[in-house]
Amino acid sequence: MHVTRRLRMRNFVHFATSLSAVSLILAALVITCSQPANALPAFARKYGLRCSACHESWPMLNYFGQKFKDNGYQLMNDRDAPIWQNPGYWPVTFRITPIWHRVSTGKVLVDTYSSGIATPTGQAVQRVTSSGFDLSGLDFHTGGTLEKNISFYVLPSSDPTASFHFETVMGRLDNLFGSPWLNVKFGKFELDNLLSEKRILTLTGNGGIYQLYHFRPQGDGNIFGQMGDNQLGLEVMGHSYNDRTRYSAALLSSNDGQVELPYGSGYTGFFTASQAFDAGRAGVERIGFYAMVGEAPTTWLTQTGPSGSTILPGSGIGNKSFSREGFVGQFYFGPHVDLTVVTQHGEDNAWFGQGYGDFIDGVATANNTTGTTLPAGAQNPTWNGVLFEPHYVYSPQLIFIGRYETIRMSQQANGSGSATPTASNFGNISTYTIGYRYNPFMTSRAGFAWHNEYNWLHQDGTGPTLGLTSANINTSELLVGFDFDF
Amino acid sequence: MRNRYNFAVALSTVVLLGCGALLLSQNVSAAGEGKIAGTVKLDGTAPHMRGIDMSKDPYCVKAHATDPAHMENVVVGSGGALENVVLYISDWSGPAQPETAELVFDQKNCMYTPHVLAMDVNQKFKVVTSDQTTHNIHPNPNPMTGNIPWNQSQPPGAAPVEKSWKAVEVIPVQCNIHPWMHGWFVVVKGPYATTDASGNYTINNVPPGSYTVTAWQEDLGTQAQKVTVAAGGAGSANFTFKPK
Amino acid sequence: MRTTLQNWTLLFGSAVLLAFPAAASAQLSTYDIETRIGAESHVGNVTGHAKDAALPYRRYCVGCHGPLGDGNGENADWFLTPMYQKPRDFQLGVFKCRSTPTGTLPTDQDLFDAITRGFDRSNMPQWNTLSKQERADLVAWVKHYSPRWANEKPGAPIQIPPEPEVTAERIKAGRDVFARVQCWKCHGVQGMANGPSASTLTDDLGRPIAPFNFTEGSRPKCGDTDQDIYRIFMTGLDGTPMPSFADNIKPDEAWDLVFYLRTFMRQHSKEKDLAKGLGLKPVDPNAPAPAASGQQ
Repeated sequence: MHVTRRLRMRNFVHFATSLSAVSLILAALVITCSQPANALPAFARKYGLRCSACHESWPMLNYFGQKFKDNGYQLMNDRDAPIWQNPGYWPVTFRITPIWHRVSTGKVLVDTYSSGIATPTGQAVQRVTSSGFDLSGLDFHTGGTLEKNISFYVLPSSDPTASFHFETVMGRLDNLFGSPWLNVKFGKFELDNLLSEKRILTLTGNGGIYQLYHFRPQGDGNIFGQMGDNQLGLEVMGHSYNDRTRYSAALLSSNDGQVELPYGSGYTGFFTASQAFDAGRAGVERIGFYAMVGEAPTTWLTQTGPSGSTILPGSGIGNKSFSREGFVGQFYFGPHVDLTVVTQHGEDNAWFGQGYGDFIDGVATANNTTGTTLPAGAQNPTWNGVLFEPHYVYSPQLIFIGRYETIRMSQQANGSGSATPTASNFGNISTYTIGYRYNPFMTSRAGFAWHNEYNWLHQDGTGPTLGLTSANINTSELLVGFDFDF
Repeated sequence: MRNRYNFAVALSTVVLLGCGALLLSQNVSAAGEGKIAGTVKLDGTAPHMRGIDMSKDPYCVKAHATDPAHMENVVVGSGGALENVVLYISDWSGPAQPETAELVFDQKNCMYTPHVLAMDVNQKFKVVTSDQTTHNIHPNPNPMTGNIPWNQSQPPGAAPVEKSWKAVEVIPVQCNIHPWMHGWFVVVKGPYATTDASGNYTINNVPPGSYTVTAWQEDLGTQAQKVTVAAGGAGSANFTFKPK
Repeated sequence: MRTTLQNWTLLFGSAVLLAFPAAASAQLSTYDIETRIGAESHVGNVTGHAKDAALPYRRYCVGCHGPLGDGNGENADWFLTPMYQKPRDFQLGVFKCRSTPTGTLPTDQDLFDAITRGFDRSNMPQWNTLSKQERADLVAWVKHYSPRWANEKPGAPIQIPPEPEVTAERIKAGRDVFARVQCWKCHGVQGMANGPSASTLTDDLGRPIAPFNFTEGSRPKCGDTDQDIYRIFMTGLDGTPMPSFADNIKPDEAWDLVFYLRTFMRQHSKEKDLAKGLGLKPVDPNAPAPAASGQQ
């Protein structure tokens, strides 16, 4: 799913435009169809707590749930080890989401026909709208403790056709030396994002992910800076007893969580820390920062042979760097209203900007340019983004969700010195999502939410330009569904 | 017409009597006090009282070396006399009883003496220990009544614990260390009595009037009778319980 | 077996009722409870209001403690092993962890600390992630369930003298207190919860309950500081078989006992080292009970 989800845009702008429209639809479908997220009635059953104890609205965690997770899925009541559980208890949760949705994409390149002629005679740009009943993928969450202070999480996740991959596989040593300040996690896991994409409250294709966590400039060959994807690596994290202070530092393999070695060695570091403050009646407010800094190998392909391009091991122009950093804040305004803000400043090396990259994403030709010189005017693509996500929590059973994200390029890969300078707004994204989740019941056995959501996404310059002056693209999606886990 | 006349007379009589009773009850004079006496018996075979295994505490075993301990839920004397039955006036509306005899609840030979201690609301009682082993005295009232549970230890030689109860209730009391130790605080309003080994009782300090006397037995339940007490006289109420 | 004599019509039926052991005691209706929605709590400089806690209570607590606060939430029946205590029945207004004498109401701070600290070896977690205000509101909410708070004031917290220096003599003296008041009857001579009476213990609602095992390595229910342990045996854990020893252990002796109890615990401590140096043997359960302190 990850492979298909990240359909690579073409390096060449003109080529990319038609693809991106299609890819948006595909991404919408695919992402909608498998949104692994962590909301575990398995834990609720184990501890007898309702979903709402740990989740502001499942799967999004509240501070109590965050502390539970930070303790390695332990309440720290000395009864966390499975030896204390009924032997029949097995920590497994299934989650699946039957939906109906309607996706409407403006500016899709379609074939046109003249009457009486069987083959296409031309192309036109038009809006394509599709709707129907659909299904998400299925997530098998298993997690918990193997013994006191030894935790695990395994999440085989399938796409809607039951093709599986390992979304999460990790073991964790908790509270080393009896201190909550030292916990070590090893495997494939979610980065310690304060606003977790795996616990996102929205389900649509473009609204069901944080654009900020996956953004790449158009034509960029770097797939590694996606902090929304689970990554392979080692994480050290710690927190105060009441979880007000948190930090984590992870060393990751620069392969975006793909279970195979990259062609070369590249590592990424992800650092985050946050501090929460008790603000009296308003609640507990948290602010922090994150930084993802790394380098990733570039590889070349062979010249096209009879069976297409293959990888050239050891090739490429070495490791190139990238970075993402920003601030996060979670602000509560009394028991009903809260607002999460995430900012991002991102930068990729100019080589990535020109489409050099690793073969690992499985899309061969799109990002494996050969060559050892940068074209004139090539520069580091750089961008800034911000995300606002307000919630209105009417009750533990009903939450209204809003989100606005915008990402603006501040420096394009092809600058003014280039033969074909890129428009300054090319690839900019603005998107908003509104929705609500209603849980008709709230117990500690299962979760069931009636979900209704609308997303609108606008991207500058990436639509097909056929006969049009503006190639901006607007996509919208309306979704209703049952989201349940048990 | 005549009926109405009769009614008026009856009404005024009742009012007068009522006022008189009120006055009397407010100024209880020794001369006016009556009493209620009687006997409580069990009609049938006395239920078997199991022996108690005290082997958890060697001290208790030793204390009962010659006199094996038995449960005391239904203690029957000769002729079916029922001991430890509490008799009280369940429709009492008079004042609290003057403190007379000192009430003592003793932990002796790992048993409670007496097994049932009756008392008036707010009457003080003492819990003492005569044993050379640690007890904990743990009455377990329902806090909803206003009586609050407490739990205090009494090691050998401990000073008496003096307490009282705020509300009418039958309160089980136990020692958690010696789980067979089980007794009752029966908190009532007004005069009360507990039957002795012969099943006899006398409720003193009862002003003249008509009352409902209730007999409570921990296993056999309660019975009630109407009794009238004349000034300075004695009412009589005998109760007979059937074994369950 | 709890019978209110005032209602004597009930009493005639109580012969039947008496045949059944006391079950859950919740008797209050929603209406009874709602009359006390104005309840407040005062924790430090924060004032908690019951009316503000309805939502957090529903979010965090109701699954175990139930909508009526009687401990009959949907999960209450599923805590099966004796080690898992059933959720507290707030309507009774009886609480284990207090700074106040046995039979009295706890202070607001006591309840606040209980919510913050949670209870080890039970399913009550630490709610220290909630804001202070939210916890204070929840304290007020807990209070609004029981009529006791309307009629009574909390007890006066017991006085705890400053903690003395740990010495070998004090540990030895603590062992004597342990022997004299016979803690071992339930907790065992080595604090392993295997005393002769340990297996028969029940709480106030007739449910099996285990004494604290000092050697397991887990924290005592009411907190892990020396002061917390001092408080436990000087106030008793109301609702459980653990009595108050306030009348029978002097404040100075109480510190000795705290130090001696520390020697049982798995966690490393100065007390443990000192006891090792002394070569202290467990108390002899068959020795005649030592004289009471009052008669020494």
